[in-house]
This record gives sequence, structure tokens and C-alpha cells, in this order.
Amino acid sequence: MMEEVDRILIHALRQVGTEVDEDVDSIRQFTSELLVEGVVRCIRVIDPGLGGGLAPSLPPGMSARFRVGMSLAQACQDVGYKGEIGYQTFLYSSEPEIRSLLMFLVEKLPRESAEASAQPSGKSAVLQRAIAAAIRAQLDLAWVPPNCSLPLHCETQSGGVLNSFYTQPLSSPHCTKGSEENLKEVKEYRRDVLPPVTAQFSSSASMVASLLEQHAAELSAAQEWDGEWKSQGLLSRLTPQEYRSRKLARLQKRIQEQLRSAAQPSSESAFGVSRPASDLMDVLQSFRASAPTEHVLKKGTHFTHTQKFTFTQEAAAAAAVTPILSAQESSGDVQLRQQEELSALQAQFQQLCSDVDHLAADMRRTAVTHAQVLDELKQRELGNTEKEEKLQVKKKTIDLLPEADNNVIQLQSLVEASAKRVVNLASQWEKRRAPLIDEHRRLKEICSRQDLDSSRKLSEIKSLHEKIHVSTEEAKKKEETYKQLLTELESLPQDASRSAYTQRILEIVSNIKKQKEEITKILSDTRELQKEINSLTGKLDRTFAVTDELVFKDAKKDESVRKSYKYLAALHENCNQLIQTIEDTGTILREIRDLEEQIETENGNKTVANLERILDDFKAIRQENAALAAKVKEG
Amino acid sequence: MATTEAQWMLSVGLIEKDVNGDTLWVWCYPSVGSDLRQVLLRKCCLTQDSRHFGTFVFGQFSRTWYYISTAEVQEPTALAKVTHFSVVVTSKDFNPEKYAALSRILCRMYIKHGSPVEMMEAYITVLTKGVCPSDENGPFLIKDYDVRKAYLTGSVKDVVSQFGMEAIILYTALMLKKRIVVHHPRIEALLEFTRALPALVWHRKDWSILHPYVHLAEPELQDLKTCPGYVAGFVDPEVSNRPDLFDVFVSLPDGVITVSQSAKDAMAMGKLHKDIGHAIVRSAEDAEGSDSRLIKDISTKTKEVLATLAALASECEDSKVTLEALKRRHFPPATENFLFHLAAAEQLLRI
Repeated sequence: MMEEVDRILIHALRQVGTEVDEDVDSIRQFTSELLVEGVVRCIRVIDPGLGGGLAPSLPPGMSARFRVGMSLAQACQDVGYKGEIGYQTFLYSSEPEIRSLLMFLVEKLPRESAEASAQPSGKSAVLQRAIAAAIRAQLDLAWVPPNCSLPLHCETQSGGVLNSFYTQPLSSPHCTKGSEENLKEVKEYRRDVLPPVTAQFSSSASMVASLLEQHAAELSAAQEWDGEWKSQGLLSRLTPQEYRSRKLARLQKRIQEQLRSAAQPSSESAFGVSRPASDLMDVLQSFRASAPTEHVLKKGTHFTHTQKFTFTQEAAAAAAVTPILSAQESSGDVQLRQQEELSALQAQFQQLCSDVDHLAADMRRTAVTHAQVLDELKQRELGNTEKEEKLQVKKKTIDLLPEADNNVIQLQSLVEASAKRVVNLASQWEKRRAPLIDEHRRLKEICSRQDLDSSRKLSEIKSLHEKIHVSTEEAKKKEETYKQLLTELESLPQDASRSAYTQRILEIVSNIKKQKEEITKILSDTRELQKEINSLTGKLDRTFAVTDELVFKDAKKDESVRKSYKYLAALHENCNQLIQTIEDTGTILREIRDLEEQIETENGNKTVANLERILDDFKAIRQENAALAAKVKEG
Repeated sequence: MATTEAQWMLSVGLIEKDVNGDTLWVWCYPSVGSDLRQVLLRKCCLTQDSRHFGTFVFGQFSRTWYYISTAEVQEPTALAKVTHFSVVVTSKDFNPEKYAALSRILCRMYIKHGSPVEMMEAYITVLTKGVCPSDENGPFLIKDYDVRKAYLTGSVKDVVSQFGMEAIILYTALMLKKRIVVHHPRIEALLEFTRALPALVWHRKDWSILHPYVHLAEPELQDLKTCPGYVAGFVDPEVSNRPDLFDVFVSLPDGVITVSQSAKDAMAMGKLHKDIGHAIVRSAEDAEGSDSRLIKDISTKTKEVLATLAALASECEDSKVTLEALKRRHFPPATENFLFHLAAAEQLLRI
């Protein structure tokens, strides 16, 4: 029985990380070191905060050992151990004590099943966990420059295999979309000219990066489109193509508006047109500034340009002048001439400036006159049309003038008649119009109702989409869990200790049952015996009473009978005493057995030995203390 | 006379908003072009979602004035599916009061009969006879509504009292035929304010420069741009970001007048303006004086200026002013500038 318990305990200890040797298979073989380590590991699992401060190994010094033992005992009490515990439990412990402590701790361990379900599952999850663990381990290592790296850095931080993440656009037949798909030329190009993806790189180093980038881009684009289509696209009731084209148009419009609003504030100022352009130039300049500096130098700055320009000009001027002038001209003459030239140029410049001013003023004036002319033209045109109308009316009036009265009457009747006719026509038209308008409204109503219907259906579709999404997610998760459980099941040891345990438990239970049956049998035997004893005692009593009576009757007559009566009484008394004694003996024997058991348990606890050991420890600590004190004094 | 004025009426139309929330152009006589129809649908405020409907609005689009009366159908009538409707009258002349009265009568008729035939009959009697029977206040007589009355209805006094000395900017802009844009979120306030402005240049009596209710829609803006100078009202605050539309911007809610950068040159002001401005403010402060009094005062001032210009013109050949002639008079530069531009506006400049 106890071996079974020990095996379970040892298994549990191994699981929390204690290194128990293979040949250790019972608590009896536990050393103090092993016990301390096991207990510490258990406590760490049960309460990481508490166990963090405990050392899993025993130090050599007595007082240090004592401290470790005491802190361990305290920790055990903290996690709820009720039994007797002290530092000696760990150092000189008896088997039952250790067993009860370990049983308590193992029971306290959190269930493993809870731990397992919290983690993601599936074969890929197992792989991912392994990868994550590896990466974590690598990240824990500090980065060091390549030339001082230790062997353990080699596999992760060696410079040789590292490449910068440089991507290139790829072209592959399946990723391009749109109308070009159907073009024959495109197909031909793909079949005959397009190199395979692996041959599209200038350097092999960028291949993986490019592929990863391409894949991520496509994936995210597809996901984004999917999400957008399900949230907004469906509600817009357009086909995907229409939706895309409308979105494109919207974006373009927005960009246009942005550009216009950005351009507007500056157009108010005097440099209305040039400002946005110069802004653009600034932007371009800033781009160019980030280019390598040698490039700029090659191009030459504005300053160098002007310098070059002025120098060459002067040189040319000098060259032009030299043939005319003699060689003995002084530098003063040159200066004088330059000054003259300068003043002439200045005058010219001023002339030009004033010209510009004049022209600007002229332009302003012309603009004003232009406005005036336009205005006048418009007014004249309007006046003309008005006059023409008037003219026509007047012409007709003149035509009708000769017989004015008559014509007026005629005209009036004509007007009235046509008014009547028009009203008549209007009422006829109304007969047609009203039903048509009503029909229109009716149809519109139906339409809007259908609209409502369809939007409701759309929202249903949307919710269905969401449900499908959630369900697929769930299904996926469950599939993964299933796979992971399967792999875990496969990875489990085939001997299935669990079933062995159950079998053992069942066996034990059946044993107990058998024992119980035996006990009940013995109990019933005992009861029968008791019954027999009782009946015999009754019989004896009755027989004695009868005999006593008979003998007592005869004893009055016969002397010998009297004697025998005396004997009888004596016999009866002795027998009673005898029975009493036997019963007493039984009681005492039972007490003796109890005491013996107690002695045995006490012996098992090795109390005396322990006390002796504790005394020894005490002495050792005192010695150590004395030595330390002496050292302190010496120091 | 009544008949000629009546002939300025161009058409009558009907717009309905039904229980589906649709706004339909349902009927018109004799005809309305599709461009104008779009504009009218935009103006009739039934197309806007707000529950607040202006009862009467008017405006101008390509030299056609439109007057729109809107009514709600409350008691059950023959118009079962109609919640609101607008009667639109278009005309060549500016006379809001006349057409407000007429369109209101037409509205009542439509509610009463539920059919546009009676409405059209009334319209035709107005067109042919200048009279229309009405349930209230006696018959509608077209000759009750003189155009001068319409011109004088807007209150210049309110304009001057609101802006004080700054009113001179409006005066100058109008004199020089500049483009004025007025913004106010409420259409009623906009109509009230803008119609008073042309009275500042009474000598022209030109109300065709008035576009009291313009939307920022392309056809309307195109129409606006064909006019050399105008007074345009916008309810959309976005108009303040369209400097291509105005030389002077008036924000009525804030009571602020801004002159745009491009017009600052032409609108430079000097002592002459100060004098006129003071005269205007003084006249407006006179509690006794009516609007017509104020208009007359302003008009007198204007005439003085124009007289100067006319005198100048008579000196020159073919009665036209030249810049040189102006310069010979040695006016202060601001005055000279103003007179030069004014001469252009009055077509007195020699080309």
C-alpha cells in the first residue's frame, strides 16, 4: 500500500521539477537534500510569491541549515499545513512525518488540467510554442558585438547570416487583378517571358524578405477589403466593381478639394499663382536635400554659378577691350570705366522700372475700361432685346390701329376665348396628370417599402456573416484543441499509470470490502458467543439457585449435607472470583496491547534520538557562534 | 399700364412634397426650362430636410425673378398624399410684395380645390385683366403694387444703423459696381437685408444686380459670374472661402464687412468718402426721418459726385472723362481713384 502512495508522491515531485533519482522508489530513501528540494519546488508551484525566497539546496553550516529548515517549516505552515513541523522535520525526519507533509503538499498542487486548457492547441500551436520559447530564450541573452560573442551567441547573433530587410516588387500571374487578366498579350507574357519568382531578384538575400512582404501585403489587402465589404460595401447595395469605382471617384474628389483649399489662401496674396508652385519647389528641394551630398556638389550651387558667370563676363569684357586700348592703361582707368558702366546700367534699370510701373498703371486703366465696355455692351444688348420686343408689340398695335375699337373688341374676345380654351385644356390635362402623379407616388411607396425590406435583409445578411465568422473561428479553435489533445494523447506514456492507479484503487476497495465482510463475520461470532455465555450464565444461576434450595432444605436435617452446602457456597464464590479474575486479566491484556502500540509509535518517531540530535545541533550552533565571536574579537 | 406689368409674369409652377418625403415638380404653366426648374427645386426649401420651411422666398436666376410661397397641408383635403407644397411664380420684374400676395392666393386656392386648374384660371385672369378675386381683403389688384413701393420696402436705415460708418464701404462698392456677397444663416434676414442695398445707389434704380438667395451650385455661380457687379445672398457659410466670388464680404451674424485683397486698390477711400459716410450716418440717426428721406439724402450726395464727374466730362471732347483730365484737377489721390473707377462704372470713361 505505502509503496503505491510513495510512487504517486515521487511522480508528482518529478513533475514539479525535483530531480529524483531513478532508483529512489520510496519515501524511506529520501535524503534531507532531496526532501528540501522537493518541498521548495512544491511551494514554488503552490505559491510562487512565497516559494521565490526559498533556496532548494541545503547549505553546509549548521546555523544556516537551521535557518533554512525554520523558514521551510514556516512556509509549510503558511500554505496551510496543520501537522507538527519544525526544522528537524527536514533534517532528521521520520518516514510517516515526511509522507504526511508530502501528501499535503502534493494535494495542494494546482490541477494540471486547468493549466493545459489555458494554452492554445494544435500541432501548429505546439510548434509555435516551441518557437516562442526558443525566441524568448534568445531574447534573454544580451546582445554583444560580433567580435566578443561567446559560443552560445553563435547560432543567433552571428553576423554572417544577417541581411538587411530589403524588398523588391514581385510579379506573379495570380496576384494581378483587373481587366488586364483577359488580355492575350498579358497571358503570353506570363507564359513566355516572365521569369519565375525566384529569378526576379537582383540579390538572393532579398528574396525571402520580398516574398514575405508580398504575402503580408496581399493578405492584409484581402482582409481589409473583406472587412470593408462586409461592413459598408454590402449596405451600399452596389456590386464590388461599382463600389470600388465609386470609392475611387470619392477619393479623387477629396484630393481635389484638399488641393483647392490648400491653394486658396495664398491666391489672395499678391503672389497668388507663384506661391503654390514655390511650395512645391520647397517640397522637391527637401527631397533633393536628402540625396547624397556629392551629387549636389557636382551640380554646383547658385553661388558658384553666379561667381563663374561674373568672372567669365569680366574676362570677356576685358578681352574685348584690350585690342582697342593700349597696354599702358592704368588700373584707375578701368575702375572709372566700370563706374560709368554701372551708372549707365542703373539708369537703364530705373528706366525699365518706371516703364513697368507705367505699363501696370496702363493695364489697370485698360482693365477698368474693359469692365466698362463689357458692362455697357451688356446693357446695350439687354436694351436692344427689350426694344425689339417693344417694337414688335408696337408694330402689331399700329397694324391694328385703323379700326381700333373693333380690333380691341376682337382682341378681347380672342383673349377670353383662348383663356377659356387654356383652362379647358388644363382641366383635361389635369384628368390625365393627377392619376399619373398618384401612380408615381404609389410606385415610389412600394419602392421605398422594398428598399426597407432589402435593407433589413441586408442587415440580416450582415449579422449572418458575423455569425459565420464567429462560428468558423470557434470551429477552428475547437479543431486546434482537438488536434492538440490528440498530439498530447499520442505523446502520453503508453503504460498509462492512471489506469494502473484506478486498478489498484479498485483492488484496494475490493480488499477493504473483503475485510469488512470478515469483520462482520467475526462480530457475529462474538455476538453468538456472548449469547451462549449469557444463556450458560443464566442456566448456572438457575441450577445454583435450585441446588442451593435443595441442599439448604436438606442441610437442616443432615450434618453432612450442611457440610456439602458449605462447600457449594464456597465453590460458587470461588467460581465467581475466578470469572472476575479472568475478565480483569482480559482488560489488562488489552491495556497492555494499547500501551505497546503507543510505545511502538513513539519509537517510530525517534523522539529521543531527535532530541539528542537537536541538542547536538544546539551545541554545534553554539560552537559556531563562539568561533564567530572569537573571530570578531580577533578582528 | 396694368396689362404691360402683368405681361412680365412668365409662368406659374407647383412643387409638392409627399408622404414618401419626395419633392416633385408636379405642374406648371406655360413652361419652365429644366435649368430653372432645378434651381427652383433647390430654392423651394422642400428639398431640405429641416422641418423649418420659409413661407416665402424670392430670388433671381438669369434675369428671371422667382417667388415661391410654401404652405403645409394640414386639414384633410383632396391632397391626400401631399404634406407640403410650393407655388412658384416667375416673372421679369422685381416686386416681392405683389407676388407674395398673388402666390399666397394661389396657395389657398390649391388647398381649397386640390387641383391646379382653378389656380391656373386665377393666374390667367391676372395675366389678362390684372385682377384676381380673393377670399380675404378684397380682390387682388395688380395696380396696387407699384414697383417704386417695392424698391422702397427694404430698410436702408437698418443697414446704416447696423454698420454705422462702415456702410460707406457698401455704398462705395455699389457705386463702383463691385461684387458684394452677404451671408446669414437665416434666409428671411438675408432677403430683408440684401433688397435694401440697391437703394443706396438710387440713381440707377437697378435691382437686377440683386441675387438675394444663391446656392453654391455650379449653374447659379455661372449665372452670377456673368454679371459685372452684384449683391448676392448666401446661407451657406462656406461662401466665405470663395474669394473668387466677391470683392466685399458681409457677414451679417458677426456684423463684419471685409474687403478682399484684389478690390482694395479700387476701393481705397479718402476724405470724400468720410464726408459722405458722415452725412449718411447723420441722416440715419435722425429719428424723424423715414427711409425715403435717407435715400433721398444719399441720392443728393451721389448726385453731387456725379455732377463733378459730368462737369469734367463736359470739358473733354465727346463728353467722356479721361484719366489725364482727372489728373489735371489735382484731386486727392483717393478721390481721383474713386472718380476714375466711378466714371468707368457710369460709363463716362473715354475708351
